[in-house]
Amino acid sequence: MAPKKPATAATTSASASSSSSGQIDKIALNIVQHYQKTTPQRTKLIDTFMAFLVIVGGLQFAYCVLAGNYPFNAFLSGFSATVGQFVLTASLRIQTTEANKSEFPSVSPERAFADYVVGSLILHFFCINFIN
Amino acid sequence: MRSLVSFLLLALVASVQAISSSGGNRLLVILEDVAEKAGYSKFFGDLEGMRKSLPYLLPRPNVRVQAASHHLLIASATGRGFDIAYETPKSESLSLFHLGERSYDHVLFLPTKAKGLGPNLTPNILLEFINAEGNILLALSGSTPVPSSLVSVLLEFDIHLPTDRQGLVVDHFNYDTASASEKHDVLLLPTPGPLRPDYKDFFSLSSSDAPDGRERAGERVVAFPNGVGQTLGQGSLLSPILRAPSTSYSYNPKEESETIDDLFASGSQLSLVSALQARNSARFTVVGSADMLSDKWFDASVKKVGEKTSVKTLNRDFAKAVSGWTFGEIGVLRVNWVEHHLNEEGLSNASNPKIYRIKNDVTYSISLSEYSWDKYIPFTVPENDELQLEFSMLSPFHRLKLNPTISSEDSTTYSVSFKLPDQHGIFNFLVNYKRPFLNNVFEKNTVSVRHFAHDEWPRSFVISGAWPWIAGIGATVTGWLAFCAVWLYSAPPATGESKKKQ
Repeated sequence: MAPKKPATAATTSASASSSSSGQIDKIALNIVQHYQKTTPQRTKLIDTFMAFLVIVGGLQFAYCVLAGNYPFNAFLSGFSATVGQFVLTASLRIQTTEANKSEFPSVSPERAFADYVVGSLILHFFCINFIN
Repeated sequence: MRSLVSFLLLALVASVQAISSSGGNRLLVILEDVAEKAGYSKFFGDLEGMRKSLPYLLPRPNVRVQAASHHLLIASATGRGFDIAYETPKSESLSLFHLGERSYDHVLFLPTKAKGLGPNLTPNILLEFINAEGNILLALSGSTPVPSSLVSVLLEFDIHLPTDRQGLVVDHFNYDTASASEKHDVLLLPTPGPLRPDYKDFFSLSSSDAPDGRERAGERVVAFPNGVGQTLGQGSLLSPILRAPSTSYSYNPKEESETIDDLFASGSQLSLVSALQARNSARFTVVGSADMLSDKWFDASVKKVGEKTSVKTLNRDFAKAVSGWTFGEIGVLRVNWVEHHLNEEGLSNASNPKIYRIKNDVTYSISLSEYSWDKYIPFTVPENDELQLEFSMLSPFHRLKLNPTISSEDSTTYSVSFKLPDQHGIFNFLVNYKRPFLNNVFEKNTVSVRHFAHDEWPRSFVISGAWPWIAGIGATVTGWLAFCAVWLYSAPPATGESKKKQ
């Protein structure tokens, strides 16, 4: 994979003068391609789920802004469910990424997932309780 | 035989009633000489008569059962039935109190010549008498100086008399041409209406009281002969019953000068008959002219200035109204019962609970009766006036008009429904109705108001506004479940691949 990179860099620099927008497109395309090739399947799954949480949370927040915050506890628990779930999922992503292996020598991916499940269940319990 | 037994029983009951009510009508009349009472025979004759009971004397009933028995007691009353004792101030046996209790319920003072009233009627004793809820009717006269003891009592109430304890009210435009064509000291006054349009009218002697043929306002005349005028202070307990006309003035008849330099008072600042109702609802009335109550001026024929026909005075009716008010025969309010309850569906609506919750719907009712001569009648609030309920903690959170809801033969129930404020604490249901000529109504019922219990809030699925957020949680949870499932499903190949790669 390594020898490919300089080649692409050279082509982009050559076409830079022609149009900057085309260059940005190429960078973006490159990033996407790189991401799709190098990222493990599970990390992609995590990212999809996090994007889903951002959308759900954003919709709830937009509804609160547009329609008012009554009943406020419902907004808090609905919104914090997505935020909390996002944070927990991000932690799972950090702990299961291969690159971070050295930072968590004692946490296996299975252990990380188990922690994540327990944490999420507690979060859901709290949110459903709080929304009453 | 049977009828005889029942008759005896009835007689027994009647005597028991007479005994139980006799405590209530004890009237003491203080006059210079007991023989003087002949001059007031009609007035005293009106006061005596058949037995009756007065509302003051019985314990104030707050319960319906007591009210019913009370009603029985007064049912047979016909006359005014006072039990009158005549005394002179010099009498040594005279005492307003016996062993700390009032010996009389009412005192009527007629003019006496002595400068003081002796050791049994000091100002202090008279004040104590009023503090013990005794009523006093005080009649003055322009020809005899007022005893200094009474002047002190009057000053105590902020009622002022002319200097030198003597004065005479004259009016050169409203005098009686028949009897006082020279001195002009017999004033002819129309019967007084209510002081303010929202007050109850007790003294105008309209329609029912006045004899037929005197319905026209101009002919309903009260004579005020040879009287002393008073001026009243600013106190809210004082109210004039009869004011002097604007052309009248008061001067000292002892001064022999032709011109009058300093008037005591003139015009309507002079009060001829004034009333004081103490905070304990004891009543004190000053009648400026004792002659007004005498036989001579009851139904006397008088002729106004500039009128040819003579009319009969309404003094007898006026004296009845004034003495009746003073001795608590009219204008006495009674609170029969007070009730408040929760007014919400599906909850216990027991009467008078000790505790409510904020924002509860509550109904408050109070039943009021008014004593009118010999019986209780339903109390109606005068037009333009309101009976109000305060729901207060230090200051009122609500001040609401009470509306009449149920009216029975002898009582009216006023009630109002409202939502408790969004504030927890100790609150009072307070009815504070204090008006001139009506005795004070002050009913305070304390309740606690608590906040919502944690399980009393509405569930969020009941509130449609919360549905998007419930859906948000649902989406998060189902998304998470799906994520976990896919994670577990995709686990072995993914890890295997990555391990193989490395």
